[in-house]
Amino acid sequence: MSRILLAEDDPDIRHLVTFKLQRAGFDVTAVADGFAALRDAHAHPPDLVLLDVRMPRISGIEVCRELRADRRTAGVPIIMLTAQARSQDLEQAFAAGATDYVVKPFSPRELLDRVETVLARVST
Amino acid sequence: MMLTIATITIIVLIVIVAAVAIGIVVVRLVRTRRQRRHTALAAGPRRALLAFVADNGEDGGDDLVAIADDAWRAAEPGALALLSKLRGEAHDALAGVFLRRGVARQAIRDLRHRSRVRRARAAQILGDLELSAAVPELCRLLDDRHGEVRIVAVRALGRIGDPAAAWRLIASLDRSDPAPSLLVTHTLVQLGADAEVTLSAALDHPQARVRVVCLDALGLLGATGAVDRIARVLRDDTSLDVRVAAAANLGRLGTRSAVDPLTDALGAARPMPLRAAAARALGDLGAPAAVTHLEGLLDDDAFRVAHEAAHALRRLGHPGHEALRRIVSREADVTSATGLGSPAGPSGAAAHAQEALALAGVGNPGPEPVLTVTR
Repeated sequence: MSRILLAEDDPDIRHLVTFKLQRAGFDVTAVADGFAALRDAHAHPPDLVLLDVRMPRISGIEVCRELRADRRTAGVPIIMLTAQARSQDLEQAFAAGATDYVVKPFSPRELLDRVETVLARVST
Repeated sequence: MMLTIATITIIVLIVIVAAVAIGIVVVRLVRTRRQRRHTALAAGPRRALLAFVADNGEDGGDDLVAIADDAWRAAEPGALALLSKLRGEAHDALAGVFLRRGVARQAIRDLRHRSRVRRARAAQILGDLELSAAVPELCRLLDDRHGEVRIVAVRALGRIGDPAAAWRLIASLDRSDPAPSLLVTHTLVQLGADAEVTLSAALDHPQARVRVVCLDALGLLGATGAVDRIARVLRDDTSLDVRVAAAANLGRLGTRSAVDPLTDALGAARPMPLRAAAARALGDLGAPAAVTHLEGLLDDDAFRVAHEAAHALRRLGHPGHEALRRIVSREADVTSATGLGSPAGPSGAAAHAQEALALAGVGNPGPEPVLTVTR
């Protein structure tokens, strides 16, 4: 069972994404901020990280950069959740090492498709 | 006697303090209990809502509609918050549950409520439901006497995205305290390509501010069909701000037919801000045909025009960089031929070219610079 780390400060989205991924058979660890995500990822590197771009204290972009800089998590695929498909945000996300992105408001089905596609790509 | 009065006063004060303390404790207990009951009531529907949304609304809609009113009331704020964060089938399915529960009917009634909070909340709900049927009523709200309500109505119309609202949104800008231009521009863009005809027609609006918003919306929509109309605005409009916006948006649209109107706007007889905007737009446009015109502007008397022209050449890539290098080399040749370096440093044109080349080289090291003009 693949383990997914979700960092999202909005409780509604956190609960919904956790629920959706768990029902699809994933082991999900959900945290509400970037520092908690970094701690968890370094302690138990996940198979995939879902990161909200805008979080309090430390942004998703910075977390992404930190994960890429650490050899334990450098190869973990990262999907960014971003509020707007602004080209600047996306450029920053990809420059920081993001693998893919999902725009909010989002479709749970589309999110699950992206997660499965990225995991399939990594495993081949 | 004095002692008795003092004692009675103290006793009365103690009773008052005790009564207030008991009152506070009772109110808190009641609130906590109500909150717990509310949370317990909301817990069931919340789980059902999450399951329903996670399954893209394929199953469980009837159960949500059948939830008792008090439990639904407890869960409704969370469900509404969830609605605004979803799109696709999950959004449509959840919106369907709200419609079946009569939430939209109530919201449409509340648009005429005398409380502005109720009116704004109703507008937000209708926007989150993306209910096209509510567009006429939301358009009416654009004339609300309270600015906050009007702003919520503008956002709601953007979320619904019905181009039928375009004209009313544009007209709402023509008042002494309109909604912020950027918000209206963003909303007009959300209405999509079907709003382009209305936006083009509104370029004849008597208010310059309205024309600027329409130009920005056309540019952001990528309305290439409106290039000729925008070019006419660039040439003929009476307001300088509008002409500058026309230039910027022609650059944004990036079509070849925008090169000639923008090149005309570079003429020395035109106002300086317009010439600078046209130079910048030619850089955004990415047309190598503009290189000669821009190159000629680097020794312009107006600093801003020369500066924008140099950076437009930088953004044009290889042909623009070549032009910038030519300018720097030409000056180097002149100084070496005379055998004297200019004591004041490079000329204006060479200085602008050097600056642009240096910026082009940042993060892109290569066999660039001819940056050594003799001092």
